[in-house]
Amino acid sequence: MNRHTKEIIIKYVFFTFSLVSIVVLGLIVFSLFREGLPIFGKVSVKDFLLGMEWYPTYDPPSFGIFPLIIGSLIVTIMATSIAVPLGVMAAIYISEIAPQGIKEILKSVIELLAGLPSVVLGFFGMVVVAPWLQDTFDLPTGLNIINASMILAIMAIPTISSISEDALYAVPREFKEASYALGATKFETITRVIIPSALSGISTAVMLGMARAIGETMVVLMVAGGAAAIPEGLFDSVRPMPASIAAEMGEAPFRSAHYQALFAIGIVLFFLTLAFNLIADYVSHKFRQIGSGTL
Amino acid sequence: MENIMKSFKNNSMQWRYFKQSIFFGAVRLSAFIIALALGGILFYIIVNGIGAISWDFITKPPTDSMTKGGIMPAILGTIYLTIGAIAVGLPLGIVSAIYLTEYARQGKVIRLIKVGINCLAGVPSVVFGLFGLGFFVIFLKFGSSILSGSLTLGFLILPTIIGASEEALKSVPQTFREASLSLGVSKWQTIYRIVLPNALPGILTGSILGIGRAAGETAPIMFTAAAYFTAKLPGSIFDEVMALPYHIYVLATAGTNIEATRPIQFGTVLVLVAVVLSIDLIAIIIRSYMRKNKRW
Amino acid sequence: MDSDIIIKLNKVNFYYGQSRALTDITMNFRKNKVSALIGPSGCGKSTLLRLLNRMNDLIDGTRVEGEILFEEKNIYAQNVDPVEIRRKIGMVFQKPNPFPKTIYNNISYGPKLTGIGVEDMDTLVEQSLKRAVLWDEVKDILNKSAMNLSGGQQQRLCIARALAMKPDILLMDEPTSALDPISTAKIEELIEELKKNYTIIIVTHNMQQAARISDETAFFYLGNLVEYNKTEKIFTNPDVKHTEDYITGRFG
Ligand SMILES: Nc1ncnc2c1ncn2[C@@H]1O[C@H](COP(=O)(O)OP(=O)(O)O)[C@@H](O)[C@H]1O
Ligand SMILES: [Mg+2]
Repeated sequence: MNRHTKEIIIKYVFFTFSLVSIVVLGLIVFSLFREGLPIFGKVSVKDFLLGMEWYPTYDPPSFGIFPLIIGSLIVTIMATSIAVPLGVMAAIYISEIAPQGIKEILKSVIELLAGLPSVVLGFFGMVVVAPWLQDTFDLPTGLNIINASMILAIMAIPTISSISEDALYAVPREFKEASYALGATKFETITRVIIPSALSGISTAVMLGMARAIGETMVVLMVAGGAAAIPEGLFDSVRPMPASIAAEMGEAPFRSAHYQALFAIGIVLFFLTLAFNLIADYVSHKFRQIGSGTL
Repeated sequence: MENIMKSFKNNSMQWRYFKQSIFFGAVRLSAFIIALALGGILFYIIVNGIGAISWDFITKPPTDSMTKGGIMPAILGTIYLTIGAIAVGLPLGIVSAIYLTEYARQGKVIRLIKVGINCLAGVPSVVFGLFGLGFFVIFLKFGSSILSGSLTLGFLILPTIIGASEEALKSVPQTFREASLSLGVSKWQTIYRIVLPNALPGILTGSILGIGRAAGETAPIMFTAAAYFTAKLPGSIFDEVMALPYHIYVLATAGTNIEATRPIQFGTVLVLVAVVLSIDLIAIIIRSYMRKNKRW
Repeated sequence: MDSDIIIKLNKVNFYYGQSRALTDITMNFRKNKVSALIGPSGCGKSTLLRLLNRMNDLIDGTRVEGEILFEEKNIYAQNVDPVEIRRKIGMVFQKPNPFPKTIYNNISYGPKLTGIGVEDMDTLVEQSLKRAVLWDEVKDILNKSAMNLSGGQQQRLCIARALAMKPDILLMDEPTSALDPISTAKIEELIEELKKNYTIIIVTHNMQQAARISDETAFFYLGNLVEYNKTEKIFTNPDVKHTEDYITGRFG
């Protein structure tokens, strides 16, 4: 075989391999649909998504995941509202203010935080945060929305902070200099020039942080409490979608309606996070060009 | 710009610096809270876990319905699954990245592949678990096994590895490629002999971070590989294994006596954290070493 | 056809995407001569040089029209492998770009990988380094990294690396523009020496350099070949007024 042919073969083999991500995405959809779609022969899509009752093991069972969706949304929103200010402000500190040494340390801190396994954080929420919440607020259980949101926030912070930091770092130096040249203080430069220029990157960070939180499993499985009902307060327990899947898959008989319903929850989760990611991708591409016009 | 100018003039210098110091205080506090969270968690785990650690704890299997004894099978299982994930994710990821950076011409197909990679990176780990269950365990009939778990974890870390490899490949100066090609060396040889060796430290750094993540994941292996308890060690890749993260979950939520096994739980958490963070630390050290010794 | 012509360009146009970088270039390069390409920056000198060993293939969205004949064969014909062309036409770049390998391995890299059947690598390395007048300086540190050499030494190493492939033609793109005057003088001497055995085509920014080392000089402007003549003639009595203006520094 001559070298030229060999080169061409290598190129096409590599091309084929590069499609692996798309193929895996396809296989994910295939597997979820194959195992999950049959449930819609038993309940309608509307009853599934909007049904108020998740009693998969009752007779007759009831497969309404609305409380689970609400559970997911509520912990995600709560976690994001804790993680965004902390994460973005830490990113500002790291990229604009911190001295070199502290900057390196903080970057490593965030990297290590990102590296903490979720089961460890869940465990921490169970054995530390839950008893504390229970005692302090005199609750029947410390496994609730507040606890899950706090722990999820810790998980989302590294994503939000590191992507925001990249965005802040990418703001052209001329912008900053132009602002200082006009006599702006560092604070004014940061809030009126740097943050607006980095806004699309920061939005992407927030989207991806939310996607991370909504898909996180072990934390909500271990500390959200597991009640499949619409919560009435922030100290109530919830059962977010990933928690349901992880908790029940082990008990659901193979290819039973329950099993199929859990896969169908996976479908919902998959497309929900897919939407988040596509929006993040769109935002980051659409608004990547930071022109002087934004000043 | 003009508006900014105007507002400067309307504010006294003192007021402007006051606002600045409030703001600086707030961002410093945020960074501090984050550092404290990490420090606090690590400290708490070490203090509570260190007592449980002993040679026997690490080298002996659990006994008495997992209320006594060690965690050796779980450590071993985690090692197997992690190596399996590397074997799947690393070659696929590096090859994908090579195609994307070295061969592909910018266009629709490449854009599609890149969006695909981003989307894959965003798929929740529990969905990977379902995928592993639906595809490897059931469809391909691998059963709940090291093989199924490794494949699932390997695909989970694939986007991380692709991203890290792409970045490392792009950082190799174009002049190296030109020099090699201008000698009449073929493209593949140029990649293999010049580009890859120079990109390797970067590829490894990023990939190791992904591998650390794989070692600590629970949800993807719950339905694809992890056993609640196995008396015997795995004999082949078609066997189930225990794994550290799942073992923690089991002990903390479903053990026979949750309170009594707290020390074992803390010990296991400490071992897992030590494993995962040492993997991350290796990556961080390679990277800082690389930065110092960069020659171009 | 003139037997001492080694490269022949026939109505060559070159495009980066939509924008044309070279217009209707027709010219011949002679064997064992030094030909210099001069002109203001951005006029297409590098583009032309990189056309001759198909290095422009590496840039997405480029297009060539016309013919470029190397030893009477069109190097842009369908069945031609650019890799083969590059073995016979070596290149030295503006900035020295040794590989982060040892000095020895920098030289042996090309011959080893292209399998041109070297009987004795040590001899080839020595020969190449001697031709590039670098041997005496590096013979005791062949196993040290090439990155430790000075800029001038690195550039001579790059020349030696190209020579190890025993090319017919050596393309040089402003090889001294990143070097100090002493290193520059050394490389100019080297070029003088090399032209006995090689055809050299050199892009230079420096008119004195073109006058000192070349036999023939081509003046380019905005992608057009304005004048191509014996160097002596170009610098004393050019045919085209435009050339004279440029040589005498009447415009950039
Ligand atoms: N990679 C490229 N992509 C697009 N345009 C290019 C590229 N390289 C060079 N050009 C354009 O082609 C023209 C000629 O460039 P070049 O050959 O490098 O000039 P010179 O070497 O004479 O300074 C310039 O207008 C330059 O902007
Ligand atoms: Mg040039």
